[in-house]
Amino acid sequence: MTNDKPLHQCTFTIDEWMREDVVTLPATATVTEAITMMLEHKTNGLVVTGAAGQVAGILSSWDIIKYIVPDYLEDDGHLAAFESPDTFCNRVEAIKDDAIEQFMTKSVQTIEQHGSLMKAMTMLSEFHIRQLPVVDAAGKLVGYLNRTDIKRAVGKVLGIGSHLE
Amino acid sequence: MQTLTIIALAIFLLSYVVIISEKIHRTVVALAGAALMVLLGVLTQDQALEGVDFNTLGLLIGMMVIVGIAKESGMFQYVAIRAAKIAKGKPIVIFLFLGVITAVFSAFLDNVTTVFLMVPVTFVITNNLRIDPKPYLISIILFSNIGGTATLIGDPPNILIGSASGLTFNDFLFHLGPVALLSFVAVMAILLARYRHAFVTSDELRATIMKFNPREALTDISLLIKSLVVFGLVFVGFLTHAVTHIEVATIALAGAALLLLLTLRDPEDHLREVEWGTIFFFAGLFILVTGIEHVGIIEAAANWMISVTAGNLAITTFAILWGSAIASAIVDNIPFVATMIPLVKEISLAGNIVDPAPLWWALAIGADFGGNATIIGASANVVVKGMAEKAGHHIGFFEYMKIAVPLTVLVLVISSVYIFLRYLV
Repeated sequence: MTNDKPLHQCTFTIDEWMREDVVTLPATATVTEAITMMLEHKTNGLVVTGAAGQVAGILSSWDIIKYIVPDYLEDDGHLAAFESPDTFCNRVEAIKDDAIEQFMTKSVQTIEQHGSLMKAMTMLSEFHIRQLPVVDAAGKLVGYLNRTDIKRAVGKVLGIGSHLE
Repeated sequence: MQTLTIIALAIFLLSYVVIISEKIHRTVVALAGAALMVLLGVLTQDQALEGVDFNTLGLLIGMMVIVGIAKESGMFQYVAIRAAKIAKGKPIVIFLFLGVITAVFSAFLDNVTTVFLMVPVTFVITNNLRIDPKPYLISIILFSNIGGTATLIGDPPNILIGSASGLTFNDFLFHLGPVALLSFVAVMAILLARYRHAFVTSDELRATIMKFNPREALTDISLLIKSLVVFGLVFVGFLTHAVTHIEVATIALAGAALLLLLTLRDPEDHLREVEWGTIFFFAGLFILVTGIEHVGIIEAAANWMISVTAGNLAITTFAILWGSAIASAIVDNIPFVATMIPLVKEISLAGNIVDPAPLWWALAIGADFGGNATIIGASANVVVKGMAEKAGHHIGFFEYMKIAVPLTVLVLVISSVYIFLRYLV
């Protein structure tokens, strides 16, 4: 089945669909600062940037959960039911001032802003990731693409969505 | 000395120095050394492969597969949680029970596996009781090494010795079991006295332990039953292998195959859990030792030792016991024992020792107990230290030695008396 729409109507690029208002923080930020930002911006993912605006990592709420759970419970899930009820409080108190660079995801896939949306989706699917920082030719963070942005683009193709935005 | 002898000795010593320095992963060093033994002409490939004790490797792999599957049922955690409840949440009784459980588990499981199971449950219990976990962690180290001494499968040195000497599972149990038990009692008594003031908690906190439902730890009852059946069969196999002449590797691998059949699990997942690094480390070591054995170095060392001890069985036995203990406190006891095995064989041949069993027991006890003296003396010690560190509890090198060295000397004295009275009088 071929497409009879003009090519320009069916070309989706990353910079069209990414969001530019990215929530970022430095690698030296503490757990408390990260949680504050996540709650304020109602997001589960923050981009960690270096001094020159380059992407240094991603911090997801998943990273924070894994950091709070003590390693010995991660090693042995059978015991979670028996753990002392105050362990949660104690762990949060113990790590609140730790720098996020200790546990953020450091090997981050990024994508260049002028690529096609299909390329971005291929990366999301290949690496099972939920978000993709978008960078310019110099590697500086310029935007952010997540699954909601992809859904908006799919909605555009299907002719739904514009009234939902 | 002939060129080949010098080459073999150089490869061997260099490999051991690098292994001890821990600069490069021990498996890589052992394999590289083994490859050099063949490449430089000390051994042919056939001779190298003949030196690999596949009975040891098969036993290790089989047990790793069985335990890897069985532990997913939660059976080991169940036992520890159940014990805490039977102890009514009393810290001192829990200390005693966890010590017994550690010793018994490690007699039948590999020591590292034992501590991987015991440390998390210890944290959970001590967190609930709000008591210092450190005495418990130290007791886990000590009793994992003491318990491991009791059986042929309890500690890698015993597996090596069992396979090389022809001594059976029951021989180990009857000859090393009593000395492990005596040592357990002595060490437990001293630890209880030493830490008696640390065992303080409140009734309210004890009540949290009493609310435990140990069955919650059992996540897969069907797997539990299948695992227990296989453990039972393997155990019977070990107890009877002197009669059936079925080698321990066959028993363990058959058990692994049976458990995989019963559970119909994807074998890939469970074979990946086998510590292949350890298996290849053993293979490399076997070839390194075969290299120096082949050129006559082991024989020369044995003759030298006999000349020093004048072939006296008692002196030789005690030299092996204490020498092995000191060596194992400082370096990994696996390469040490792998080298000592052909040496002990040579000594008993050249010294006309009719029954070399005391020498084997001395080697096993020295290597197993010696590992207790320092925090780096055995793999299990290092693992406990690492797990404790991650949970925010630092066990210092000298802090540990202060407790462990006197206790190690004590168990070695007990062992010396035991060996003397049982074998040398």
